[in-house]
Amino acid sequence: MSAKYELQETVEPNLLDDMFDYSLPPKIQFDGPQVEEIDGKQVIFDPKEALARDLVITDTTFRDGQQARPPYTVEQQVKLFDMLAKLGGPKGVIRQTEFFLYTANDRKALDDCRALGHKYPEVTSWIRADKGDFRLVKDAQVKETGLLTPSSDYHIFYKLKKNRRKAFDDYIEVIDAAWDAGIRPRVHLEDVTRADFDGFVMPYVAELKRRSEQVPADMHVKIRLCDTMGFGVSTPGVKLPRSIPKMIHRMTHDIGMPPECLEWHGHNDFHKVHINGATAWLYGCNAVNTTLFGFGERTGNPPLEGAIIEYIALHGDLCGIDLMMVQELARYMQSIGVDIAHNYPFVGRDFNTTRAGIHAGGLRSDERIYNIFDTTKLFGRPPRVSITDKSGVDGVALWVNTFLGLKGDRKLSKIKVHKVARWVMDQYEVHGRMSAITDEELAEQVKEHLADLYAARV
Amino acid sequence: MQRDDVKQRVYKVIAKVLKIDTGQIEESHSFSADLGAESVQSVELMAGFEEEFDIEMDEDEALGVQDVGGAIDFIGKHLD
Repeated sequence: MSAKYELQETVEPNLLDDMFDYSLPPKIQFDGPQVEEIDGKQVIFDPKEALARDLVITDTTFRDGQQARPPYTVEQQVKLFDMLAKLGGPKGVIRQTEFFLYTANDRKALDDCRALGHKYPEVTSWIRADKGDFRLVKDAQVKETGLLTPSSDYHIFYKLKKNRRKAFDDYIEVIDAAWDAGIRPRVHLEDVTRADFDGFVMPYVAELKRRSEQVPADMHVKIRLCDTMGFGVSTPGVKLPRSIPKMIHRMTHDIGMPPECLEWHGHNDFHKVHINGATAWLYGCNAVNTTLFGFGERTGNPPLEGAIIEYIALHGDLCGIDLMMVQELARYMQSIGVDIAHNYPFVGRDFNTTRAGIHAGGLRSDERIYNIFDTTKLFGRPPRVSITDKSGVDGVALWVNTFLGLKGDRKLSKIKVHKVARWVMDQYEVHGRMSAITDEELAEQVKEHLADLYAARV
Repeated sequence: MQRDDVKQRVYKVIAKVLKIDTGQIEESHSFSADLGAESVQSVELMAGFEEEFDIEMDEDEALGVQDVGGAIDFIGKHLD
């Protein structure tokens, strides 16, 4: 029997303010726990439990991020590190960042970043699973290092040319060496989403857990789950090794790894990089490993700024995060030659720019209609309109009012900007133009047709 | 102002903006469907009326007027 639905008229619009508080990125709210069937049993994951944990973002801009581009200079790394510290705020939402140690440039960057004196992000390193590399870590006085330990047979058999036993024993030997050197090992399970879970991953992590119990708590092994090829899937019901919920449950429930010792590291080969990281948070990983603007090997890693917005959306609070630094970081990256696509979320030139006249009309009425949140207050980026033949008079009016700084009752109506709108349309209809009108051209038209307002503009 | 005077001057503005002869215009004509006014021209018509009659019209109300007769009445009320 179908339910009966009746229209509920209202005098005041229901803007769902609790979820869409315009002063913040919209909150992600849950109705209740999620249920995943694992080994024939229903397992409950409660988002409230996840949010009570110390969720953090870790950064690998200077490691994985640098594998996708020419090396940053020392000065560039120091500048980016300083901005990351400000972005993550005093609570250390951006908790750690990792550095290579192999070149003099790598080591100087680490030293200079540390010399800034920020509490967060903490500095860690990344080395191959090679005992000889511990000298570098010790010399750099780094307390924690990542160790690359491939976990799939693709890597064990075809890259390392070993069998599972040999790989297992070699890894354990190196991890023991880390402890002997007084360094906390963060074990990177490379290619874990293509690994034999019961045949290798579980025995390996169980052994690491067992050995951790014999060292002080601050030296317990950390596990980084590396979705090296982006095969991980967040959807409930997916089989291992691709299932993120099942994989993390195996770690936390079956082996007893604490969430603070688990980290997710993803890649974007299947466009799943951000949601996979967010899923890992909710299902039991405390840390999501990211890079600025997603730059990383091949298709990249979870974008750090995306994780920052997700973090705020989950917590419903800025948590000390300075969002203006997202824009500062983007401007700085662009100033050193990094391309950011115009339509890239949060920082691309056009992320809150509309070209459609009907959208511009909505923005003119109330910017909340077509803006994701108060991007003026949080990012210093008011919603904009880019003028083409599709922008209509609404778009032109919005552009002109923004340009002239006119608000409220002082805003010009469409009628008052008709000469500018006519000039725009003639560019396309009379002159056959194919490109967008530039801000400079529009400013010139305002100067010509609205001279008094142009002279008095804010 | 008499309605006929308003009508005559409204026709003059329409003819100028839409580049048609006043003989082609009827009071029952819709600006867009019958006279072919496009988005920008609709706004130009309102701007033309404001200039012709030296009045300021509310944008939403003015653009809500869809036909020639409606425009004559709307402007007549403004002049009253």
